[in-house]
Amino acid sequence: IYQCLSCNKHRSNNSRQRLLRLKYFLYFYYFQIFCLQTKKVTQMMEWTSKRSVIRMNGDKFRRFVKAPPRNYSVVIMFTALQPQRQCGVCKQADEEFQVLANSWRYSSAFTNKVFFATVDFDEGSDVFQMLSMNSAPTFLHFPAKGKPRKTDTYELQVRGFAAEQLARWVADRTDVQIRIIRPPNYAGPLLLGFLLAVIGGLAYLRRHNLEFLFNKNVWAFSALCFVLIMTSGQMWNHIRGPPYAHKNPSTGQVSYIHGSSQAQFVAETHIVLLFNAAVTMGMVLLCEAATSDLDIGKRKIMCVAGIGLVMLFFSWLLSVFRAKYHGYPYR
Amino acid sequence: FTPLRGGLSGGLSQPAGWQSLLSFTILFLAWLAGFSARLFAVIRFESIIHEFDPWFNYRATHHLTTNGFYEFLNWFDERAWYPLGRIVGGTVYPGLMVTAGLIHYVLNLLHVTVHIRDVCVFLAPVFSGLTSISTFLLTKELWNQGAGLMAACFIAIVPGYISRSVAGSFDNEGIAIFALQFTYYLWVKSVKTGSVFWSIGCCLSYFYMVSAWGGYVFIINLIPLHVFVLLLMQRFSKRVYIAYSTFYIIGLVLSMQIPFVGFQPIRTSEHMAAAGVFVLLQVYAFLQYLKDRLTKQEFQTLFFLGVSLAAGAVFLSVIYLTYTGRSSYAKIHIPIIASVSEHQPTTWVSFFFDLHILVCTFPAGLWFCIKNINDERVFVALYAISAVYFAGVMVRLMLTLTPVVCMLSAVAFSSVFEHYLGDDMKRQSPPLEDSSDEDDRKNAVTMLMLMLLMMFAVHCTWVTSNAYSSPSVVLASYNNDGSRNILDDFREAYYWLRQNTDEHARVMSWWDYGYQIAGMANRTTLVDNNTWNNSHIALVGKAMSSNETAAYDIMRSLDVDYVLIIFGGVIGYSGDDINKFLWMVRISPSVASQPQESDYFTPQGEFRVDKAGSPTLLNCLMYKMSYYRFGEMQLDFRTPPGFDRTRNAEIGNKDIKLKHLEEAFTSEHWLVRIYKVKKPENRDRVEHKLRGADTTKQKYTSKKVSGGAEASSEGVFIQERTQLDGT
Repeated sequence: IYQCLSCNKHRSNNSRQRLLRLKYFLYFYYFQIFCLQTKKVTQMMEWTSKRSVIRMNGDKFRRFVKAPPRNYSVVIMFTALQPQRQCGVCKQADEEFQVLANSWRYSSAFTNKVFFATVDFDEGSDVFQMLSMNSAPTFLHFPAKGKPRKTDTYELQVRGFAAEQLARWVADRTDVQIRIIRPPNYAGPLLLGFLLAVIGGLAYLRRHNLEFLFNKNVWAFSALCFVLIMTSGQMWNHIRGPPYAHKNPSTGQVSYIHGSSQAQFVAETHIVLLFNAAVTMGMVLLCEAATSDLDIGKRKIMCVAGIGLVMLFFSWLLSVFRAKYHGYPYR
Repeated sequence: FTPLRGGLSGGLSQPAGWQSLLSFTILFLAWLAGFSARLFAVIRFESIIHEFDPWFNYRATHHLTTNGFYEFLNWFDERAWYPLGRIVGGTVYPGLMVTAGLIHYVLNLLHVTVHIRDVCVFLAPVFSGLTSISTFLLTKELWNQGAGLMAACFIAIVPGYISRSVAGSFDNEGIAIFALQFTYYLWVKSVKTGSVFWSIGCCLSYFYMVSAWGGYVFIINLIPLHVFVLLLMQRFSKRVYIAYSTFYIIGLVLSMQIPFVGFQPIRTSEHMAAAGVFVLLQVYAFLQYLKDRLTKQEFQTLFFLGVSLAAGAVFLSVIYLTYTGRSSYAKIHIPIIASVSEHQPTTWVSFFFDLHILVCTFPAGLWFCIKNINDERVFVALYAISAVYFAGVMVRLMLTLTPVVCMLSAVAFSSVFEHYLGDDMKRQSPPLEDSSDEDDRKNAVTMLMLMLLMMFAVHCTWVTSNAYSSPSVVLASYNNDGSRNILDDFREAYYWLRQNTDEHARVMSWWDYGYQIAGMANRTTLVDNNTWNNSHIALVGKAMSSNETAAYDIMRSLDVDYVLIIFGGVIGYSGDDINKFLWMVRISPSVASQPQESDYFTPQGEFRVDKAGSPTLLNCLMYKMSYYRFGEMQLDFRTPPGFDRTRNAEIGNKDIKLKHLEEAFTSEHWLVRIYKVKKPENRDRVEHKLRGADTTKQKYTSKKVSGGAEASSEGVFIQERTQLDGT
C-alpha cells in the first residue's frame, strides 16, 4: 500500500488513465488483502471451532500472527508442556488458559476479534528465538493494529495466572469482556457416588448376611493399602504434581528414579510401593508358613517364598535408595 | 529372645524371675544405647544448645531457675518483639521448662551441682529412655512381652525420633513423645481394666502432655476416635464407658489449667470431636440401659441405629472439617508458614531415611493386629492409620508416626522370631523326615532377620551421625585429608554483641535469629522465631528489601541500633539471608504493597546477584549489607574479586557506599555481619554547597572592598560580617 501511495504522489499531472489504472489496481489490491484477511479469519475460526486454543508452530505463527494483513487480536501463551521440560507451572497455567479460552469460545459474545493460541517450545523454538524469549510460560497479546507494546506482555509474576486475572488483562488490551465459567469438577462427587453405590449395592445384595462387614481380611487389606500409599509418598505427588518419568531429550533414555533425594517421580513411588508391599508380604508369608494348618510341602514353599521376597525386594529397595543418596552408607 | 524362651522351657525354678531380670537388662541396655547414640554432637562439639527454638526454651528455663516458678508464669519479656514485648508465661507450653527446672532443683538439693545448661542439653536423651520404657509397656499390652522389648529397642535408636531428641536439642518434642506413649499406654490399660485408677493416671499423663506440646490435639482426637470405632464395632462395654467418661471430664478440666491452652478445649473445632463422642457415649449407654428394661427390641435397635448414624455423621463432619482445615493450612500458602521447610509433604525417601526396614515391615504388623483384633488392637490400628496420613502430609509429623511404626514392626519381627527362633517342643507332631530340612529353613530365616536388624542398626547410627547431630550454631567443614575446621562465627558475633553494645541496644535481624540473639547475646530483638505478629515481621522484611533511605526511615521508627545479617558468600553457606531474601519480599507486601516480588527478578524471571541482576535488588539494604566491601576481597586466584561462593557469581555491585549505616563487626568467615545504624545528625545536612565555599560572588566582593589579592575564605567571612554591620 505504501509503495502504491508513494507512486500516487509522484504521478504526473495529466495522466488520468494511469491514475484510473492505479485506482483499479489499488482496489484490486485492497480486495486481495481483504480476501487474504477473510481467508485467514475463516481459517482461524475453523481451528477455533475445533479447539478453543489453537496450537501453533513456527510456520503458522509467522503466517497468521506475524504477517501484516490481520484484523484480529491474538493472545498467545508460550509454554513448554512436554514432560521432559518438567515445567509444573506450565501445566497449571495451561489449564487456566484453557478455561479462559473455553469461556470465550462458548460465550454468547463470541466474535472473531480475538483468538487464543499457544506455542510450545518443542514445536516452535524458532518463535521463541524470534521474540528472544527464554522463559515459559509467557502470555503475549498481538493487537490487531500496531506493534505490541510493553503492556501487551502479561505480568505473570505480579498477577499470577488465574483465568480471572487473565480475562481482566485481555479485557484491558482488547476491549473484549470474558466472563470466566469454570467447568464444575464432577470427578470427585462422581467417584464418591460410584463408591457409595458399590457399597450400597453390595450391602443390598447381601442384606441377609452382613457378615462380610466383619471380614477381617478386607479391613486389613484396605488398611495396608492406605498405609502403603502414604509411605510411598503419594501425598507428595498429589501436592507437588511431579512428572511420571523423565526422558532425556538428547539420548532418549527414560529414567524412572529421580537423581535427588529431595524429589521423586510418580513412577518411582509406584516402584517403591510395590517393593514395600512385597517385603510386607514376605514377612506375612513367613509367619503364615509357621502357623497355618496347610500340609508341610505348601508350608515349605510359603517359607521359601517369604525369604525370597524379603531378601530380594529389600535389597532392591536399598539399591534404589542408594541411587538417590550417592555413596550411602559411607559418605 | 533366645535366652528368654530358653529360660521358660529350661525348667528353671523361677522363670518369671528370669524373665523380669532379662526385661530389665534389655530395657536398661536400650536406654543406654539410645542415650549414647544421641551424644554425637556433644562429643564432636561440646555441651551446647542447638538450633533456634531450643535457645528460647533454654532462656526461659534459665529464667525459671533463677527467678522461681511464679515469676516465670508472670514473665513479661521486654527483650523480644520490641517495642511490643511478649507475655511468655501465657504463650508457652511450660512442661519442658518445668521438667528441666525440677530436675535441676532436685539435683541441687542432693548437692549434685550441675549447671542448668547441662540439664537442658541432656534432657532429651534421658527422656528417650523413658520413651522406650513406655513403648515397651504399651506394646506389651498390645501383643506380648517379646514384642515390647523389641519395640523398646527400635524406638531407642530409630532416626525418626532421634532427629528431635539428640543431646542439645532442648525442644518440646523431646519430652512430648514420652508423654504421648505413656498416655496411650495408660489409656489402653484403662480400657482393658475399666478401672478409674488407670483412667485417672491416663488423665494425669495427658495433663503432662498438654503442658509439654501442642501435639496433644492428636491424643484428644485419637482416643475419641478409638471409642467411636469401638461403638461401631459393637464392642461397647462398661470398661470403655468408665475409661472414656473419666478421661474426658478430668482430662478436659486438667488441660484447661495450662494458661496457653485456656478455654480452647471447649471452643475450637479440634476438640469438638471429643465432646461429640462423649455425648454419644452417654446416649449409647442410656439406650443400653433402656434396652434391658424395655421389650420392644426391634424399635430399640432401630432407634439406636438412627441415633448412632446421626451422631456418626456429626462426628465425621467435625473430623473432616478439622483435618481438611489442617491439611489445607499448609496449602493456603500463608507465606510465613510456607517458608518453613518443615511444613512440606513427605517423599518416600524421607520415610525410608527415618525408618529404614521398619517402613516395609510395619504393615505386616498392622496385618497381624487386624487379623487378631481386640479392643486395644483397634486402637493401635487407628493410631497407625492416622499417624501415617499426617506424616505423609507434613514432614515434621514423622515424629508421631515413629512410635507406632516401631511398635508394629516389633510385632512383625517378634512373631517371625517366635516361630523360627524357638525350639520344636511346642509343635505336637513334628514330621520326623523333614526335621533337618526345617531346621535349615529356620536358620535361614533367623539369619535373614538378624541381618536386617543389623543393617537397621548401622543405618540408624549412620543417619544420626551424619544428618541429625549438627548443632547448627557451630558449623564444621572437613578438609580432603579428613581434618576438621570449626566455624564458630555465630557465637563469635553474638559474644561481640554481648560485650560491646549497650545493654538495651535493639538488634534487627531476620526472625530466624531472634531466639539466638536473645539467648546468646542477651540483646533486645524485633522479631523472633515465635512468629505471632506477621505485620511486625513484614515490617522488618520491608526494611531489608527497600533501598537504604527508605529502610533508614523504617529502622528509625523501630529504634533499631544494630542490624545483624548472615552472609554465606565467603564459605559457601547456603542458608544465608540472601537465599532467604525472597521470603522477606514475599512476606513484606502483607503490610504495605510497595515492594513487588517481580522487581527483584531479572526481566527473564531469574534471581541473580551479578551484573545482570535487577537494579532494585542491587540497591536494596540486604544486598548492600551482605556485599559491603566484598568486592575488594579475592578469595581465590581462579576467581575474580567479589566472587560469591554460595551463588557462584561475581557480584554486580562492587562499589557499595553506606550512608546511614556503618559496619560494626564482621566475623572471621564473614558469616555474621553487624551494622550500626547511625544516629541522625544534629543538623540536617544541606544539599547545596555552603555559603562560605560559594566562590564567584564573594570573590567579587572581596576584591572590591578589601582589595587583598590573596583573599582566603577567612578573609571572606570577615568581609561578609563587615558588610552586614554596614547595613
